[in-house]
Amino acid sequence: MPSIETACEVRVSENRILRPGVSRRTLLQGLGLATFALPILGACSTGAPAGGGGGNGKKLSFWNFYGDSGNGEPQSEWFIKLVKDWNANNDVQVDLRYIPNADYMSGTTLQTAFTAGTGPDIFLVSPGDFLRYANGGVLYDLSSAVNDAQIADFSGSVLDTRMVDGKLLGLPMEVEPLALYYSIDAFEKAGLSEGDVPQTWDQLLSVGEKLTTDKQFGLVLETTPGYYQNFTWYPFMWMAGGEVVDPSGKAVFDSRANHSALQLWGDLTAAGVTPRKNQGTGGGDVPGNMGAGYCAMQQSGIWAVAELDQKVPDYNYSVAPLPIPAGGKASTDMGGWAFCANAKGANPEAAAKFVAWAIAGQDADGIERMRQWNSVVKTNVPTRTSVSEAVKSAGTWDSGPLKIFAEEIAPAGRPEPRFPPQVYQPISDALQAVQLGGTDAATAAGTAQAALETFLAGYSGGAII
Amino acid sequence: MAILVDRALEDEDEDDTGRSWRGRVSARQRRETAVGWAFMLPDAIGLMIFVVLPIIVALAVAFFSIDGFGQARFVGLDNFVRMGSDPLLVNSLAVTLIYAGCYVPLVFVAGLALALLVQRPFPGIGIVRTLFFLPNVMSLVVIAILWQFMLTDKTGFVPRGLSTVGLGDISWLGNPTYALAAIIMISVWFQAGYQMLLFLGGLGDIPNEYHDAAKLDGAGWWQRLFWITLPLLKPTSFFIAVTSIIGAVTGMQAFDLVFVLTKGGPANSTMTMPFYIYQQAFSYNDYGYAAALTTLLVGVLVLAVGVTFAATKGARFHAE
Repeated sequence: MPSIETACEVRVSENRILRPGVSRRTLLQGLGLATFALPILGACSTGAPAGGGGGNGKKLSFWNFYGDSGNGEPQSEWFIKLVKDWNANNDVQVDLRYIPNADYMSGTTLQTAFTAGTGPDIFLVSPGDFLRYANGGVLYDLSSAVNDAQIADFSGSVLDTRMVDGKLLGLPMEVEPLALYYSIDAFEKAGLSEGDVPQTWDQLLSVGEKLTTDKQFGLVLETTPGYYQNFTWYPFMWMAGGEVVDPSGKAVFDSRANHSALQLWGDLTAAGVTPRKNQGTGGGDVPGNMGAGYCAMQQSGIWAVAELDQKVPDYNYSVAPLPIPAGGKASTDMGGWAFCANAKGANPEAAAKFVAWAIAGQDADGIERMRQWNSVVKTNVPTRTSVSEAVKSAGTWDSGPLKIFAEEIAPAGRPEPRFPPQVYQPISDALQAVQLGGTDAATAAGTAQAALETFLAGYSGGAII
Repeated sequence: MAILVDRALEDEDEDDTGRSWRGRVSARQRRETAVGWAFMLPDAIGLMIFVVLPIIVALAVAFFSIDGFGQARFVGLDNFVRMGSDPLLVNSLAVTLIYAGCYVPLVFVAGLALALLVQRPFPGIGIVRTLFFLPNVMSLVVIAILWQFMLTDKTGFVPRGLSTVGLGDISWLGNPTYALAAIIMISVWFQAGYQMLLFLGGLGDIPNEYHDAAKLDGAGWWQRLFWITLPLLKPTSFFIAVTSIIGAVTGMQAFDLVFVLTKGGPANSTMTMPFYIYQQAFSYNDYGYAAALTTLLVGVLVLAVGVTFAATKGARFHAE
């Protein structure tokens, strides 16, 4: 510690440096005030990030998990072009905001925006999440934005799962049936031929065992809990004759059919045919699993055809319908996302107009745009007859995996169920318990049945089936 | 220092009664108090807005049914009553307690062991300390992805390494028996370097004379650890224990790891309370129930920290 005299000199010296006009104390007080004031001023700022929700009606925000991702991938580029084409001819502009798929599907970005009243004007919704938003009252009725001819162009029942009480709450951009992908090279290496591709559940297990080695699994199924995993399991339930709820809305999950479908997934895990934890981004990622040699067969959707073509172009593979149980019937789950408009947005009419133009446009550009989406930048079954015809005319379905999807797999498909979270959660718990926890299928189904009955007894939202 | 200097100057002006000095100090104290408040206010406002207010709001929300789309309905105690018949709550509480019960002592021992290892200087000590601390400076998401690769069934680095001793078939993230253990071990690996730093600070405060005297008396390494080091490390140990408990219960490490690696699976075996609350709020849009669960979690946390304080008599280690 310095002496008093030395200290005095120090203070005088310091004050000289700070003078004239600014004493040390004044400086400290000023710093304190600035520290206090700056965050407050910052908080009062009205600036909003580009692409944020809660637009002003002249600029619509469009949140999605494709573009602009900045990676130059074809699907991202398709979204960028879509918005560019719209903006070139309309006063109300659309602004893309990219949210990575994992965050979009199970993160907080979208949900917290809606909770804060700043949800996007336009966004994508999966059937697995549809009723959550529909029951929340944020899906705008698109009926007024599309005419009868446009409605009639949508094939089969693709609009049914987007209807609630006669209102059209989304326009589907794609149909994504599930299939069994298999590596031709892996089959040959195991001494098997394409004639050995499993057609029954028993064969799935036995062939899967033959294909399993110390470095490769026989089959990859989804293992991460959530509505996507349920989506991939429902075909097995349907093939065995099971359902979650009957047409009257009564829970019928605890059935022998469902026990057998649950048990199949448990048996495949117990036999070591399927991994308990997949590579890449999960069971839907064929390049990251089968394409990387992690497995010989994989259940995934039609989107993987384009992904394999883009990421592993020389991969030697084919697809087959999902194997059926003894006495069962072929089925698959037809997923696919839909464009939706925010009913609580600043300009839902304009958002609906954009959605109708993007997905249901019937001019040559509109059909070509959807042909590109469904058969060039991504592979899907188109939702519209006119687009399907354009795809056929281009020869896209004439050969290879897409021919099998179009002719053998999709015709047996059912639309993906639009169960609300309180319905898909007990199913997910049952599936996880049997597949990875080794729980008896009947016990797991019984627990799920009880939870479903409790929920359905008090449910008052949009029709579940 | 500035206060000492100011006060020294004022001493020179003090009259016999001291009245002048007190008067001037009083004015000075007021000014300094004002400056002090000005410095503290941003933090205080931040705490009010981001901690106290959310706690109050969360408690209030627990009495409502809120769907996340602007619709709310007062339901009284329904959300709390529902807890009594929620099997997933029991599961997630058990998972959280197991996680905390394993993580806290493990990270404590690991952090202390690392600190003792790098306490004395040796060539390359800086590099070794940096390596031990390195995981803590990385994003937990990156950590999770890294471990996901290393733990991949059959082909990951860890299963391949363990296959040499016949344990290659263990699915660390896909088997309910091992998944939580894997999350705990990754959490410890991530956090041990930080605890090491804290322990190094505590160890540095222990005078060498104590150890030298003990050595002269013939005390071995373990005896000195248990009779000199650990008793004198009590304040540091207390701080580490409390912050580790808070981190474990609120899921500071576990949440990110669970979110990236397991999503609460397999079969809900890694469904910690924070992740269950998150799921209720953001996957199921049940904000009211999520808030009620949060209230319960805060209660558990207060209880755990309270027990720790009680066991240490209010963290007074030198009052005896």
